[in-house]
Amino acid sequence: MRAHELSLAAAAEAIRTRRLSPVELTEAVLDRLDRTEPLVGAYATVTAERALGIAHEAEREIAAGRLRGPLHGVPMGVKDLIDVAGVPTEAGSRVRTGHRAESDSAVAARLAAAGAVLVGKTHTHEFAYGLTTPQTRNAWNRGRVAGGSSGGSAVAVAAGSATFALGTDTGGSIRVPAALNGVVGLKPTYGLVPRTGVTSLSWSLDHVGPVTRTVEDAGLVLAALTGPDAGDPASLPALPDPGTNPQHPTGRSNPPDLTGLRVGVARDYYFDRVDGQVEAAVRRALAHLEALGARLVEVDTPMARYVQAAQWGLMVPEATAYHERTLRAAPDLYGADVRVLLEAGALMGAGDYLRAQRARTLMRQAWEQLLEEVDLVAAPTVPTTATPVDEEAVTWPDGTTEAVSDAYVRLCAPANLTGMPALTLPVGHAADGLPVGMQLIGRPLGEPLLLRTGHAYEATRPAHELARAA
Amino acid sequence: MPTDALTPQEAARWADRSGLPLDADRHAEVAATAQYIHSVVSVLHEIDFADTPPAPTYRVPEDVRGGQRHCARA
Repeated sequence: MRAHELSLAAAAEAIRTRRLSPVELTEAVLDRLDRTEPLVGAYATVTAERALGIAHEAEREIAAGRLRGPLHGVPMGVKDLIDVAGVPTEAGSRVRTGHRAESDSAVAARLAAAGAVLVGKTHTHEFAYGLTTPQTRNAWNRGRVAGGSSGGSAVAVAAGSATFALGTDTGGSIRVPAALNGVVGLKPTYGLVPRTGVTSLSWSLDHVGPVTRTVEDAGLVLAALTGPDAGDPASLPALPDPGTNPQHPTGRSNPPDLTGLRVGVARDYYFDRVDGQVEAAVRRALAHLEALGARLVEVDTPMARYVQAAQWGLMVPEATAYHERTLRAAPDLYGADVRVLLEAGALMGAGDYLRAQRARTLMRQAWEQLLEEVDLVAAPTVPTTATPVDEEAVTWPDGTTEAVSDAYVRLCAPANLTGMPALTLPVGHAADGLPVGMQLIGRPLGEPLLLRTGHAYEATRPAHELARAA
Repeated sequence: MPTDALTPQEAARWADRSGLPLDADRHAEVAATAQYIHSVVSVLHEIDFADTPPAPTYRVPEDVRGGQRHCARA
């Protein structure tokens, strides 16, 4: 396996045992980036020179016996909403032309402290307010959308131009592109990873998390990101057992054993208006979890009818509030799709916002009750594989049509509304070769169980092939 | 268009009152989008919230934060 194809865990082990140097790895990833960028356009900014400088420093430190941990010397990308000192945070928007971040976001600082090597900033749908990331193409088929809004991060990881990446997720923006590009994405529990220095879309729904090639890698990155930060009012205090200790994120058992695990499978909602090939791949994956010892339990999706209403009722006014001043001063600098949503958001009343907040209270209670009956819920991440880039709506067999963005948010939004952790992992491909993702939704701070379950799946159904279109 | 649909003039007035004056060429498009958003969020009127308080953000319950609940299974 070539260096740019290695998982984070494999690269870390090769670095630890001195079979691979951080400079060799970074050069291999940069070479790959040079070849794939003209095809898929995952990066907004590439910091090659800086990356090589950090890699050389990592190499010297490691040679001197000061290995910081599994991220030390490993090249990665961060979504272009996340501040890195001295580098622009353009957020996919002309509004940010000429921007330069003065300081590191909390997560960038933590990755730097862990010794990770920034390769560049990855494309986002403008201000994360969209699900396609039009600057970037799908890593498996360049005629298909990358997904979004963390499209650049998912495509870079799938294509081999980053060993891992960070994304943000307000209604699925880590999980959607991860699923559409055949990689792993984790939206952690709300508040577990601080958002200080990260451009907001919707304060009460935003999360930062890893995009990786394997579930094991997601646990390794998460472990470097968690912990309180005074700059984020939602940041959780220090936890006695946040469950992200690198010693046990994936709880290795050999052979993997999920005996006794109760996996909720929804009778409704999560399999409604879902493409037949997506459903078939997810049901095969569920059968595999069952073969590993899990027990599948039929459940009803709490308050399914109100998911979209609550998501919009929170996100729309919060996004408009964030952009209030620039929207007044320079509306022409926004893209047409984002501008009209921001403008229309100014017309939403406090009554609608409060109803959405009260619906969130009820949803959270109902989901907590559901997750007393089962240990996690497994479902498709998105109802369809990557759509053609010029397609605006999906037509379902029942004759209904749905905007592509609405379809991609539909199955992801419950975890944003409830704040519960959700992991997507690849579970196969449709007949046309496009990847399918399965989502595992767990209890608050239930990341270890999601990671253990996902790792049990991937350990027995490995999918390490790099994407074909890149 | 439903009979209670927002007109471009109403959209312009509401936007103005909320501190976002819109150019005339924006009125119709913003009215249509605002109408669609309204159609999505108005479903929440069906819920009888009784004494349910709003949740401004999600908070992990104290007993979970303390690591007392669920950790054995996790």
